[in-house]
Amino acid sequence: MTADELTSGHDVKVDSASIEETLAELWRVEKKDHDNAVTRAALWNVVAHSATPEHHTEASEVLGKTSIVVPQRTIVVRATPAGPTEMSSWISANCHLLGEGKQVCSEEIAIIAGGDRVARVPPLVSALLIPDMPVAVWWLGDLPHENAAYVAALLEPADRLIVDSAAFDNPADLEIVARVAQKTMTAPADLNWIRLEEWRIATASLFDPPEMRSKLAHVRRIRILTDCMQQNYFGERIEGLLFASWILAQAGCEIERVDLEIEERQSLRRGLLRVGVTMEDGSVAYVERDLERGILITRYDGHVIVPEGVTRAQKRTTDQLIVRELNDPSSDRLLLKVLPVSVELAKRVA
Amino acid sequence: MTVVAPVLETNPLREGLEQERVPDASCLVIFGASGDLTHRKLLPALYSLAHDGLLPSGQTIIGFARPDYTDDAFRMDIREACNKYARTRPVDEAVWENFAKGLFYVQGDFGDSAAYLRLKDKLAECDKTRGTGGRRLYYLAVPPNFFPVICEFLGGEGMVTDPERGGPYTRAIIEKPFGHDLASAKELNRVAVTTFRERQVFRIDHYLGKETVQNLMVLRFANGIFEPFWNRQYIDHVQLTVAESLGVEKRGNYFDNAGIARDIIQNHMLQLLSLTAMEPPVAFDADAVRDEKVKVLRALREFPKGNEESMAVRGQYTDGSVLGELAPGYRKEENVRPDSHTETFAALKVYIDNWRWADVPFYLRAGKRLPKRVTDISIQFRPAPYPLFKKVSGVRTQPNVLAIRIQPDEGISLKFDSKVPGPVVRTAPVTMEFRYATSFGAEPPEAYERLLLETMLGDSTLFARRDEVETAWAWLDPLLTAWASDARMPDAYPAGTWGPDAADALLAADGRKWRRP
Repeated sequence: MTADELTSGHDVKVDSASIEETLAELWRVEKKDHDNAVTRAALWNVVAHSATPEHHTEASEVLGKTSIVVPQRTIVVRATPAGPTEMSSWISANCHLLGEGKQVCSEEIAIIAGGDRVARVPPLVSALLIPDMPVAVWWLGDLPHENAAYVAALLEPADRLIVDSAAFDNPADLEIVARVAQKTMTAPADLNWIRLEEWRIATASLFDPPEMRSKLAHVRRIRILTDCMQQNYFGERIEGLLFASWILAQAGCEIERVDLEIEERQSLRRGLLRVGVTMEDGSVAYVERDLERGILITRYDGHVIVPEGVTRAQKRTTDQLIVRELNDPSSDRLLLKVLPVSVELAKRVA
Repeated sequence: MTVVAPVLETNPLREGLEQERVPDASCLVIFGASGDLTHRKLLPALYSLAHDGLLPSGQTIIGFARPDYTDDAFRMDIREACNKYARTRPVDEAVWENFAKGLFYVQGDFGDSAAYLRLKDKLAECDKTRGTGGRRLYYLAVPPNFFPVICEFLGGEGMVTDPERGGPYTRAIIEKPFGHDLASAKELNRVAVTTFRERQVFRIDHYLGKETVQNLMVLRFANGIFEPFWNRQYIDHVQLTVAESLGVEKRGNYFDNAGIARDIIQNHMLQLLSLTAMEPPVAFDADAVRDEKVKVLRALREFPKGNEESMAVRGQYTDGSVLGELAPGYRKEENVRPDSHTETFAALKVYIDNWRWADVPFYLRAGKRLPKRVTDISIQFRPAPYPLFKKVSGVRTQPNVLAIRIQPDEGISLKFDSKVPGPVVRTAPVTMEFRYATSFGAEPPEAYERLLLETMLGDSTLFARRDEVETAWAWLDPLLTAWASDARMPDAYPAGTWGPDAADALLAADGRKWRRP
C-alpha cells in the first residue's frame, strides 16, 4: 500500500489496533514524496452507523461527497449483532483538488463488526475520534428499541445525533429522539426537518410584514397536502407533523385549539405539496410547491398587502442535507422546541 | 370591543433560519441606475439576495437616471447584468420573474423637479401595491458633485421621513470617494446633514462588507488567545498590503486626479488599520465599534512637516510585465496625463500614539501593477526574550508571524519555528494554516450583498461615520499637500515589481523588510 493509492481513494485493509499508526505513516510518506501537495483537513468527526451492507455503502458514498464541502474524519460502522462474529477495518481518503496541484483530503475509516464483537465498536470509535473536533453520529435506518447500552455508549462522545425521521415506522421513534434531546448532551438533528427549511422560509416570509405577525397568535386551522410513496406509513407523515408542530410552537398556539389535517396523495415522490394556514379572521396564508419550476409560491388571502412570493426549493440530496446540518456548529434549539409538540401531535394523528 | 393584538418586534417564524433577519419591505431608489456600479454590483447583489430568500416579497427597486428607459427595457438590461455579474448566476427564471415584478424605472435629470414628482408618485403607488409602507432607501450611485442637488430635491419635495418624527424610515447610501480632501469631505457631510440626520446616512466602503474583514473582529475578540499578545509588549510591527495587479483600466480620469493614497489608503487601508489596532468595543453595535475605530484614527502620529520622506514613499509604475503579460507604464494609460505626477504606489510608516501601540510601527503599502492582487495584514511578533539557542549551530530562529489574508484565498496562518527531526538541534519555520475555502467550502456572499442588507436592516456598524471620514482626511491631508507641492516625480518602479526601492529602504532603515505576501 502506498500513500498515492490512499489519496486515489483505494480502500486499505488494516488491523483495527493500528488504524491511527497506519494513517500517520501513510501521510508521512505522502509528505516526503510530494512535499506540500496534500492538505489534511477536518472540522468534524462523523460516525455513520448502519446495520446493512446497503446502508453501509450509502453512508460511505454520501459522506465522501460531504467531506468535499465539510472536511471531516469519517468513520463508517456496520454492526450486525445477529451476524457472524467478525471485526475488520479499512482506511481510505476522500480527496479533491483545490487548484495549483494541491489536494485536500479527509480520512475515512470503515469498521465492520458482527456477533459479540459489536460491543467493541463504541470504544474503538471513541479512540479514533480527532480530539477537539465535534462529533456527529448519523444513524441510518430505523432507530433501535433494544440494546440501549450500546446506543448510549456510541452516543456518549457525540455532540449531534443525525437521523432521518422519514424512515421511522412509529411514533415511539420520535419519542426516542425527543428523549435523547432531554436526557443527554447529544443534540438531535433530523434530515426530514432540514427538508422543511424552504417551507419554513416561504411561510415565514408571509408573516414578515409587521401587520401580519400578530395574526400568528390566532391560527385556527392547518391543512397540509403531502405526496407519499407508501400510504399510511408513519414516516411519510412526519414532514407534515413537523411543519404543523413548528407553526404551533412558534405561534404559541394551544394544540387543542387548532384543527390539523394532513392529507396524503399517493405519488412516486414524497414531500409537502401545499399548506394552508387559516387565521381566526378567516384569512388564509398559502404555500404551494411548483414542482416543475422548483419553487414554493406564497400568497395571502386577507386584508394585508403581501405580494406573492417565490422561494427556491430544489430537491436536496442526502449529502446536501448533511452538509447543511454540519455547517451549523451550534445545535438546533428550535428542533428541541418542536420535537415535544410533534410527539404530542403524532399521538393525535397516529 | 375589538382587541388589537400587539405588533411583534420580530417574526417568530424566522427563528433558527439562516435568514433570521429579513428587513421590512421598502423602496430602494438608485440614483445613477444606468451606471456601471448599478449594473456590475448593486442590482446583481440585490438579485442574489432575492435568490437566497433574504429580501422581503414586497421589496421594490426603482432605478432613476437620465437615459430614456421603460420599466421593461430596464428589467431586460438588469437581467443581462445579473446573468453576467450576480454571484448566483445565471438567473433562475422563477426567482427573476418575481424579482422583476418589483423593479421599476423613473427617467429624469438629477436637477429636474418634475422628475422628482414622477418619482414621488411612483413611490406612493408602490406603497399601495407592494406594501412598502413609506420606507425609503436612496442610493446615490453618482459622482459627489450631484449629492447637493439630489439631497436638496429629496428634502424639498418632502421625500425624507424619520421614525423619530413619527414617520417611516428614510436612509441615504453614499459611495466613496467621500471627498477629495478634508475641506471637500466636510462640505459633503454638511450637505448630507441638511437633508438627513447622521444616523440616516450610510457611507459604503465595500471592504467592510468582506467576510475576512469582518472576521478580524471575530479573530481578535471572540478568541481568548490573541488579545493578551495584541500590544506593544509582544508585537514588533504590523504590515498591511493592498496590492493590485491591474493598472487604472477605464478609471484613468478619476485616478489621475486622485492617486493611490486617496483611492485606497484614506478609506480601505485605514479601515483595516483601525480594525486591527482598535480597543475592544463595549458592545457589538454600530456606535461602540465606530467609537473605537475613530480613537485609532485620532491617535495616528502626524507626518513630520518638511520631512515627510522619512515616513512616506510614493511611486509610479513604468513599463514592465505583470503575470507574464506586458504592461505599459502609467503615463501611457488611457485618460492619464503624459506628464502625470500622480502616485500609483504609496508606502507609509505609521505610528499610533496610544498606550497599546506606542512605538510599534505599522507599515502600509498600496499599489497598482504590483506582481499580484493581494490584501494582507501581517502581525510580526517580537523574538523570544532570551535567545536560548544562540550558541547552537543550525538554529536561526525567526519571528512569529500571524498573517491574515483578506483576499484572495482568504485565510489566516501562523508561522513559528520547529525542530527539524534528527539527532542534532536544527530549526525550520513551519506554518499552521486556516483557509476559508478548505474549511468552509461555501462561497461567501459579495460585499455589496451584505452591505445592502445591512442598510435595509438599519445597522450601520459596517459603514463609515462622519467623524471617521473626516479624521482620516485630517491625518492624510498634510501628506497629500506636501506631495502636491513637491515638483519631483514619484519614484519609478517597473510594473510587476513590489514598488520602488525607496519602499524597501523605508523598512531597511528600521532593520526590517517587507514580507512577501
